[in-house]
Amino acid sequence: MNDNSADGGILLECRSVTKSYSGTTVLDKVDFSIRRGEVHALVGENGAGKSTLVKLITGVTNRDSGDIVFDGKTVPLEHSRKLSQELGIAVIYQELSLIPGMTVAQNIFLTKEPLLGKTRLIDSKKMNRMAQELIEKYEFPLKATDFIDRISIAQRQLVEILKALSGHASLMIMDEPSSSLTKTEVEMLFRIIHSLRAEGISVLYISHRMEEVYALSDRVTVLRDGKLVSVLDKERISPAEIIRLMIGHKLEEAAIHHQLPRIESGVVLEVEGLTSVGKFQDISFLLHEGEVLGIGGLVGSGRTELVRALYGIDPIDAGKITYFGKPFAPSVRASIAAGIGFIPEERRLQGILATQSVTRNIGIPNLDLLAPRGVVRVKAEQEYSLRGIKLLNVKPPNPDQLVGNLSGGNQQKVVLAKWLVRDLKLIFIDEPTVGIDIGAKEEIYDHVRKLAGMGVSVILVSSDLPELTRLSDRVIVLRKGKVFHEFKECMLTSEMILRAASGITEGSDEN
Amino acid sequence: MSRQAVRRIILLALMLLICLMISRVNPIFFSVGNIMKLFQEAAQTGIVAVGFTLVLIAGGMDMSIGAVIAVTSMVCVNFLTYTKLPVAVFVPISLLVGALTGLFNGYFITRFKLPEFIVTLASKSILSGIALVIAVKDSMGFVKNVYIQNETYIWFGGQAFGLVYRATIAFVVLGVATQIFMKKTRAGTNIYATGANAQAASLSGINTTRTVIGIYMFSSICASIAAIFISSRMMTAMPELGIGSEMDVIAAVVIGGTSFSGGQGDLWGTMLGAVFMALVKNVILKMGISPWVQPIVIGGIIVITVIFDVSQKKLAEKLATKAKLRKLALEGGQAAA
Repeated sequence: MNDNSADGGILLECRSVTKSYSGTTVLDKVDFSIRRGEVHALVGENGAGKSTLVKLITGVTNRDSGDIVFDGKTVPLEHSRKLSQELGIAVIYQELSLIPGMTVAQNIFLTKEPLLGKTRLIDSKKMNRMAQELIEKYEFPLKATDFIDRISIAQRQLVEILKALSGHASLMIMDEPSSSLTKTEVEMLFRIIHSLRAEGISVLYISHRMEEVYALSDRVTVLRDGKLVSVLDKERISPAEIIRLMIGHKLEEAAIHHQLPRIESGVVLEVEGLTSVGKFQDISFLLHEGEVLGIGGLVGSGRTELVRALYGIDPIDAGKITYFGKPFAPSVRASIAAGIGFIPEERRLQGILATQSVTRNIGIPNLDLLAPRGVVRVKAEQEYSLRGIKLLNVKPPNPDQLVGNLSGGNQQKVVLAKWLVRDLKLIFIDEPTVGIDIGAKEEIYDHVRKLAGMGVSVILVSSDLPELTRLSDRVIVLRKGKVFHEFKECMLTSEMILRAASGITEGSDEN
Repeated sequence: MSRQAVRRIILLALMLLICLMISRVNPIFFSVGNIMKLFQEAAQTGIVAVGFTLVLIAGGMDMSIGAVIAVTSMVCVNFLTYTKLPVAVFVPISLLVGALTGLFNGYFITRFKLPEFIVTLASKSILSGIALVIAVKDSMGFVKNVYIQNETYIWFGGQAFGLVYRATIAFVVLGVATQIFMKKTRAGTNIYATGANAQAASLSGINTTRTVIGIYMFSSICASIAAIFISSRMMTAMPELGIGSEMDVIAAVVIGGTSFSGGQGDLWGTMLGAVFMALVKNVILKMGISPWVQPIVIGGIIVITVIFDVSQKKLAEKLATKAKLRKLALEGGQAAA
């Protein structure tokens, strides 16, 4: 083993790695390197290729071409999770890889438990002592005998880190480690990252939160559309610069400048002080007739949780909802009866019945009209289905087609159709165009705007910044479960939304 | 106190209450003979339940255990009827029935990623058929009721020192040894980990395939061992022996606090659960109630136990949410001040 850790030599080097999924290149000849004992941040918009790069490094998927060298050893094209662990690459998952019913010590030493003398029995006392020593060395607020299900998410991450340390990892990959942590917990995580660095362990940090990247990193690699954009050294790291690089040329595109109009129509929905413990807190806003209200924010900021609660899927702990001037207690049935529709985030899991026909899919939420006495009026159902297919231009226009066999875009059209055939007043739309081709995307955008034109109010949740910018009449940005900023009656750009979502207040950081 | 401790104390108190009530109605209940029979009954269910507990802890399901009992006892009866082989030779051979069934179950579940329930249900059907096919028949082709007279074989069903049934001793030894295995060895830890989170377990380097095949083999072998004790105690065996006994076993394990969602439970609970089930059956008998009522009572007990567990969990979650809300309100107050 060559010892160049003292001069901060290279621990991991990726040269011109390329990966494509079914014809689409998601990583295009990316060069990437991590030095020994550095904290390296990897940033980029959704779909920039960050997670793919991590998957290639950890062996979850294999690269198509390019070289990866770790600790002086060339990683073969046939990479695997097991091999990456043997090399000393550890990934800190949020809670995925811990066993709930077991103690902290049991989790740290899983499959590596110390044994009693020459027997095959586990020496629990020794194991607890070893775990406690490890905990004390890093001054973690943990006890070796605590059960995993009784400790907080932040503490679980610490256990993950200890588990990796006990396995002698030299690279620790943290994917959005702070997304579910409180402020004090994040500070603790930062201290730990610093002590890891002091030990010569490299940390690859993936985060959407600019202030964290700014505070933590020795270097930052920016990816955009599967390509390497820039590698910034410590002195060049600033939130504004990173955001500029992340969004890049897209800034010049006219489509994503959008003048937010003045809204004078009546109020449809009024939300006051809405709280759901651990998800979102003290949310208040107004929604007007025929308005598209965009909800922006990072993943985990509480956007999906908010619309789910408003539609009545998840319970609310505190707050008041007024719908057309009357107090409204959301439940799915009450919402449907009141002319509210919902298009969920995970199309395949929550949106469609894949093994059922287009007709059945469109019929399901409309059974109150189609089967008032319990028996479905098949003819009426067919009519609804044909109307929906025509309205949204579903291809192929076959009402008996199984929805699972349609393309992603057409599946989403069916999901839209099942609400559009009824008399809607308000619709929640969560991430409508994930995994959909450009053509179908445009069609869905048209329908959203058309709906608003007909007086239907829309609440749109999206991580796709240009989409949110283009479609919305007004945007509220959530951050850590609270309303951080509201954009109205102004010229809106994607960059403004991203800055707000990253916690940058306008005017405080102009350079 | 942990939730588990609470439910065990409740279970013990309930058993004590039942004992006190029954001894008032029927004084024979507390006779040495009846108590020994009760523990013998508990052992018959309990030996199978030990194996089944491990299956549930590993996140699986085994519907074939009853049919394994049937085939194992039919194999023994065949050896007793048609050969002069000594017991020490053919009993271990008959345990192979369990080992092979478990291997079959585990292999199909892991290799083809089939649902445990379907695979073991299919095994149950296949084994029930095999039991009928290999049953000893008379000249007309009807299944013959074989009376077992082999002294050595009957020894298993008897009492040690004229007091404790050997099945009871086997049950206690098996239960305690398995408990130590589960809590004190790497293999046991691996079983908990696999059941709690199979993905995490395999990321931690546990061979989950080998673990799963192993526990299905253990479960079926336990059922085979039980078959020896049951048939030797009854001194006869029919091809239906043990079929349907899954319900008793499931009830014992669930009452013992092993969860259907995997990763939780232990053998102390199962041993307690087996005694509880035997007690309930004994009481039904001693109260002079028709034994046909038993399945109804067992089904009811399973439902009540599961409802109890779910509501205990919900209550804990509710209290936690309330505590958090209060904390939030407190922090809000401080921020305002």
